[in-house]
Amino acid sequence: MLRLAEQCLERAKSFIGKSLDPPGPPMTAGHRRMLSDGGEERSPFLPPEVFQRLQVIASQDTSRKELTPIEEASRLNQKLKANYEARLARLPPGQAYQKTSLTLSLQRQMMENLIIAKARQDALQRKMEERRLRLQEEANRRFAASGGMTAEEQEQRLLYTNVLEYEQDHDHKAQQLDWPKQWKANMKNNPDASLVSDLVSHLLSRSDHPVVKLLRKHQYRVYNRLYPIVSGGASLRPSHSSNSLTRPDTSADHQSFISSSSSLSPSHSRELTTEEDEEDEAHKQRMVDRENSFEDLETFLTQLDWTPSDYIHIAIDQLLSLTLLSFECLNTSTYKDLCLASLEEAFFPPLWSALVALFRKVHWEREEAFQASVRLYHDALPGDVGVPSKLFPGDSGMLQHASFPYESAVQELKLLVQDGCPQRKLECIVRTLRQICICAEDYRGLNEADSAPKTAAIGADDLLPILSFVALRCQCPQLVSECAALEEFIHEGYLIGEEGYCLTSMQSALAYVESLHTGVAHHPANA
Amino acid sequence: MAAAAGGSRTYSFKVVLLGEGCVGKTSLVLRYCENKFNDKHITTLQASFLTKKLNITGKRVNLAIWDTAGQERFHALGPIYYRDSNGAVLVYDITDQDSFQKVKNWVKELRKMLGNDICLCIVGNKIDLDKDRNVSVEEAESYAESVGAKHFHTSAKLNKGIEELFLDLCKRMMETAQADERLKGNGSSQSASSRRGVQIVDDEPQATPSGGCCSSG
Repeated sequence: MLRLAEQCLERAKSFIGKSLDPPGPPMTAGHRRMLSDGGEERSPFLPPEVFQRLQVIASQDTSRKELTPIEEASRLNQKLKANYEARLARLPPGQAYQKTSLTLSLQRQMMENLIIAKARQDALQRKMEERRLRLQEEANRRFAASGGMTAEEQEQRLLYTNVLEYEQDHDHKAQQLDWPKQWKANMKNNPDASLVSDLVSHLLSRSDHPVVKLLRKHQYRVYNRLYPIVSGGASLRPSHSSNSLTRPDTSADHQSFISSSSSLSPSHSRELTTEEDEEDEAHKQRMVDRENSFEDLETFLTQLDWTPSDYIHIAIDQLLSLTLLSFECLNTSTYKDLCLASLEEAFFPPLWSALVALFRKVHWEREEAFQASVRLYHDALPGDVGVPSKLFPGDSGMLQHASFPYESAVQELKLLVQDGCPQRKLECIVRTLRQICICAEDYRGLNEADSAPKTAAIGADDLLPILSFVALRCQCPQLVSECAALEEFIHEGYLIGEEGYCLTSMQSALAYVESLHTGVAHHPANA
Repeated sequence: MAAAAGGSRTYSFKVVLLGEGCVGKTSLVLRYCENKFNDKHITTLQASFLTKKLNITGKRVNLAIWDTAGQERFHALGPIYYRDSNGAVLVYDITDQDSFQKVKNWVKELRKMLGNDICLCIVGNKIDLDKDRNVSVEEAESYAESVGAKHFHTSAKLNKGIEELFLDLCKRMMETAQADERLKGNGSSQSASSRRGVQIVDDEPQATPSGGCCSSG
């Protein structure tokens, strides 16, 4: 009898001990890692684990997760245990029998709670599975038209099932929590473009929504793969003159732009959809193994079998499709564009510094060339880079608020590196070019003060030399890599319009500036 | 929902403007995008980048016209300007044989890069200066034919021939786009996001019906 009691006590003790253990100490491990990293070489990039944790913290919101029956029971058990300990403490000494009885009763109650919870959990699980099957059927019906089942479609179906599940969860709760339904009704009653970005930002603030989970997953994967590259000191050699990270095997500019146009090949999307986290782990190990062994981008990317721009384009497409599936009312061409802009605005900022660091490693030679030209021409005047004299003031006395011509455009362009969102960077370039046109108009007015105002507007023949001057005066080599990255990541819809034109002109001007230091060959006098 | 209604499409075309410094391509394109009823015809980027909305045989067309720098020193990056272009307008000055040679070089480059996907238009500008002509009509027209391009004579100064050249170009770009569409099997690939040529956009139901034709943007 006594032995049996002792055994029970042991079990209760071990049980109590277990329930006291905090659930794993990942935080401390992460800190240690970060500190040891910093000790050897200071990297401005957080280790992926820390990045992931920050992601979760950043997106934590008010929607509290409900406890599972087991969690509820263990919470109850902790309370029981606390009571038990309080009563033990109050027992007068020498009451061994009472103590044993209390311990046994505690153990019995705790076991009972757990058994009941387990049964409830199982029942709930069964119900959830039934519901999931039902929702899966609903998702299947939704996709019935699409016929065949590629891996991609399978994944999309699965994600859509998650969305249905999420919505049903919120349907059963208090009215104020049922936000998807409310937004859908809002959009139906009052379809308005201004509602779209509100809806998407609301969606992105719900950290438990499948779209947000997918967003975090993709961001983490990209960061996880960039980290070993950008946190190391090695720089990469670009493959010949290729501007593109999409296909490193091209040998000339024109080939690289043609091949980059097929960035959404089926094989790549398959890679994206079937990839598992274990693969990520294995990949991480491979990356660590060869961290210092690559020295040129070509070999490197071939080994990598993964290019950031392909991955990111597919990831964003997937996020967009899931958002449109969740809110069918957004599926019109204008709303879709707004939606995409909002998703990109959420997707890029945490990743941009790592992405641009990768591009800087690839384009360091171009940046050096740019820097060399800046050293030679830092105080050049517009005329020195081929701007016609009618488009800048003859003597600096004519400048009212600036110390050199086109200074306001230079100031605007300097803001580009500060933003983390490609779309906003693109807007900054557009503002720079517009500012150039405004200045050019003013200067022309000054130069032709007496003659009748001419209607001739400036075209590319004038714009490019001025833009080159502005880029030169900006003195920021990073622009080269920023623009190369923008070209990869800006959604193609923007590339045909004014934004695309401005980005293209900027790249053309940067390339010209890079060539300036090499001497007479490209000097305007010889053109 | 959205796609079901209407069924009319809007074509978006990118057209690059190529030509040496003084051939008058800026005046040409400014003439074209000028709106007689509105003085605000010039976009914020002036003549470098212009847009125009058209209505051709009941189809809406949005043109984006990309001016390029004629100077040799900016040619290295030429390909990034004309990638994904649906059309190119190559302008020379009929009094300047050299500018016609430049057009030939660009044609060669465009065909090499973009094959037959791009509709070419070769334009002899400044016909108001016909007495100083240095490029013969026969030479220009037979060359254009040999490379599968259309040839037009224009005068930006007298506003001659410009509407015609762009209208013809638009019609050919629409034909090319429709042929592409038929090839792709039409419809099902609504979300196919190829990086090349953003061409066809489904109209939205709530879009305001476009009044009249040839309103410039």
